[in-house]
Amino acid sequence: MSIGLVSAAYVVAAILFILALGGLSNMEKAKRAIWYGIIGMALAVGATIGAPGVDNYWVLIVMVVIGGVAGGFVAKQVQMTQMPELVAGFHSLVGLAAVFIGINADLAMNAALDAMEAGTTDTLAGFAKTISKKSAVEMDILKVELFLGILIGAITFTGSIVAYGKLSGRVSSAALTLPFRHQTNLGAFILCFILGWMYVAGAGIWTMILVAIIAGAIGWHLIMAIGGADMPVVVSMLNSYSGWAAAAIGFTLGNDLLIVVGALVGSSGAILSYIMCKGMNRSFVSVILGGWGGEQQAAGEGPEGEMIAIDADGVASALQDADSVVIVPGYGMAVAQAQGSVSELTRKLRAAGKTVRFAIHPVAGRLPGHMNVLLAEARVPYDIVLEMEEINDDFPQTDVAIIIGANDIVNPAAQDDPGSPIAGMPVLEVWKARQVFVSKRGQGTGYSGIENPLFFKDNTRMFYGDAKASMDSLLPQLG
Amino acid sequence: MKIGAPKETYDGEARVALTPDSAARLQKLGYDCLIETGAGAGASISDAAYEAAGVSVVASAADLWDQADVIAKVREPSDAEIAAAPEGKTLISFVWPAQNEDLLAALNAKKMSVLAMDMVPRISRAQKMDALSSMANIAGYRALIEAGNNFGRFFTGQVTAAGKVPPAKVLVVGAGVAGLAAIGTSTSLGAITLAFDVRPEVAEQIESMGAEFVYLDFEESSQNSAATGGYAAPSSPEFREKQLAKFRELAPEIDIVITTALIPGRPAPELWTEDMVLAMKPGSVIVDLAAERGGNCTLTVADEKIVSENGVTIVGYTDFPSRMATQSSTLYATNIRHMMDDLTPEKNGAPFVNMEDDVIRGALVCHDGEITFPPPPPKVKAIAAPPAKKKEADETPAQRVEREAAEMKRSLNRTALMLAVGGFLCLLVGTVAPASFMQHFIVFVLSVFVGFYVIWGVAHALHTPLMAITNAISSIIIVGALLQVGSGSVFVVILAALSILMASVNIFGGFLVTRRMLAMFERS
Repeated sequence: MSIGLVSAAYVVAAILFILALGGLSNMEKAKRAIWYGIIGMALAVGATIGAPGVDNYWVLIVMVVIGGVAGGFVAKQVQMTQMPELVAGFHSLVGLAAVFIGINADLAMNAALDAMEAGTTDTLAGFAKTISKKSAVEMDILKVELFLGILIGAITFTGSIVAYGKLSGRVSSAALTLPFRHQTNLGAFILCFILGWMYVAGAGIWTMILVAIIAGAIGWHLIMAIGGADMPVVVSMLNSYSGWAAAAIGFTLGNDLLIVVGALVGSSGAILSYIMCKGMNRSFVSVILGGWGGEQQAAGEGPEGEMIAIDADGVASALQDADSVVIVPGYGMAVAQAQGSVSELTRKLRAAGKTVRFAIHPVAGRLPGHMNVLLAEARVPYDIVLEMEEINDDFPQTDVAIIIGANDIVNPAAQDDPGSPIAGMPVLEVWKARQVFVSKRGQGTGYSGIENPLFFKDNTRMFYGDAKASMDSLLPQLG
Repeated sequence: MKIGAPKETYDGEARVALTPDSAARLQKLGYDCLIETGAGAGASISDAAYEAAGVSVVASAADLWDQADVIAKVREPSDAEIAAAPEGKTLISFVWPAQNEDLLAALNAKKMSVLAMDMVPRISRAQKMDALSSMANIAGYRALIEAGNNFGRFFTGQVTAAGKVPPAKVLVVGAGVAGLAAIGTSTSLGAITLAFDVRPEVAEQIESMGAEFVYLDFEESSQNSAATGGYAAPSSPEFREKQLAKFRELAPEIDIVITTALIPGRPAPELWTEDMVLAMKPGSVIVDLAAERGGNCTLTVADEKIVSENGVTIVGYTDFPSRMATQSSTLYATNIRHMMDDLTPEKNGAPFVNMEDDVIRGALVCHDGEITFPPPPPKVKAIAAPPAKKKEADETPAQRVEREAAEMKRSLNRTALMLAVGGFLCLLVGTVAPASFMQHFIVFVLSVFVGFYVIWGVAHALHTPLMAITNAISSIIIVGALLQVGSGSVFVVILAALSILMASVNIFGGFLVTRRMLAMFERS
């Protein structure tokens, strides 16, 4: 295949990728959009394999097959509730691949330089050959790109692993706050840039390996310092990083397809992070630098009143009397795998002629759109699943609001208490409903450790217990 | 202290302000109870029944006024009663201070503390002593019964061997407490019930009682009754015209009309005009609960039952509660007892007038030789005002244009700033970077832009699939590894092969999991 044909295939692939992302604007189109992505990827990989200078086909094919089988296996096995950690885990692979490719590029570059000195550039193939044609300035830029690719790749790699660990519960979700953590991070970054400078100036590959190691440490430390509640932002941020890493490698290799796709993914992740931050009314910087995940609440007095418990009979009879019900799911529903029971409950209530809707907060769960995916898995029709802005005005006309494993996203302190750590965060105004039931495991403050005055309100009843067991106990009592 | 109820002196008034039941509860508050002999006769309560409850029966009204410290009555005292009354008593009864200024002055002259049952504010806490509501409830019920008494047909429709009987059609005008009670009685007797009120928010209450709300096709009809403490306010002439037109349209098919429309402090509005009466079928009945205040029907004569020239019976009685004296005495006495409850927080048998208490302050019209009417507005609104409409709705077109222009300008400014900064940075890069780099750089910047626009359009619900799919396509990095795997160096081949492996996991895993997720989204 000639270079021209390969480039043409790349253009088509790039357009297909854009269509794939754009297609996600609605549910119906989305099912087609995924095929654009798959075809684009097949085209890109196929064209590259056919490109001049690619060799060692058997290695390549074996690796693709092994990887494909492994990936397919994981995709089949994973529970929908584990989606956040899966995505985070996948990101780490992209990060590591970027580091490897960066190091390879350096090796190829050295080979090309050696060949240039020896005057045997004709024997070179592929990437090394293009390098051998570069000027001195271009070589410097190449090195900068290479440095950036490795730096971002390494941060993505370790950061994603930590995010995976936190999301899957293998690492404590509490924020790790080492003394002088900001200074440590800053120092490490400066060190990386000094090493990068040395590399551009002509130092050997050891500087890059050192950069990879230090950047890895930064990634680990950075994500360790972020509390579990901020994970949606972290995951989309890592998504963004993996894109920028790909783009940097694209610059290094002079490959436009990599640049295009890397930039698409990078900006996509950045926008998602922005949307998440806006959902929590926090600045991106404060999330990234480690938030309030582990900070203690200011020692103000707790909310007045008491939490009043209620049993399944009470909830069921209130539901039977209600005309309109709004269900607010949170991470607790995912943990308890209660989405199936919630769906069954919804089906029964709807069969009884009641209006049942779901209110989804932008940061509910541990991944953007996490709740939507879980509810879809449980076959809850997506047209009754509404966003915060769509439903917030309807709470005063709602008879019963059921909160399932959500806490901060329904915390009235965000509006009432300027001293609260979540002050100003947009929240679902469930307390305006006539009655509120909170399905919760116990009296604790939950993930973020912030006291929730909602639980103490007059129209709130606490429905203690595992979310799934609680929902199941309601089912037999509703016709 | 002693609390006593004299026999009502008003002609035909059968109610009494104290019953044996309420007396028993008052005694628990520490009061001794007195009753004038024969006071309960109209309500079928004998002196013996009072005595059995520990109430001392007093021979005459004069004795009772002398002995008792607190006098509980139903109707406001007559001039003769006031003239005969000793000074410094506490009186609880209906007073209607707004309409009876002379009475108020006379009571004040006797240095009485007067609590007007009709002035109890309509807040939730005071419902237990809201005698107006309890009396209105009885009036509404009785009005329908009275109508049935004068109506020659069944309420409910029947199909009998002797022929088909159509159901009666009842229209209730004014859905206050009396109106709602009439509606409830009417629907439970099986009549087809229509109801009208100028306050559209009571439509829900009307429908909950099983009647059909008569809607007017009128835009400005939205009276906000929260501002007037739940009562109706006078309506505009245009609205009134619409309303009368609707009634005219309904009149020929209606068998029974119950009118209950009252506006506080004003004569009753005239809603059922002579031509409507003439349009009704012979044998139809109108019961005018507003007769005392002039009547909603033009032809109503207070305290009388008349028959119009076309055979429509118009009932203008003003004493419906008194016609059910046993029931109304029980309820009224309970209202009084609740009032005493609030007046005696210490339960020591001594009334304490707490001027800070909204309910007591509202009901108190004379105290310590001063007229304390009208009371200051209560601190608690009876009905929460509906939330103010959103500001945007009130925005005039001009304001909107202005606001949009301002927003547009801001956004343009922001864009211009970003373009300037971005352009400057690009220039900076361009001055140092070689041409080959700039080519790639253009591609990069454009892609970021495309990504930016495409991602904003993604549905919120699809953010997780978006992450999964971007994750899959970020493994496009495999292309880099593929280009390197052909290298001569073994080390490079190994690293490249590992990269291919990882990227493949990502490609297949990412796409498959995205497909799995998207397949789940379905419409109801």
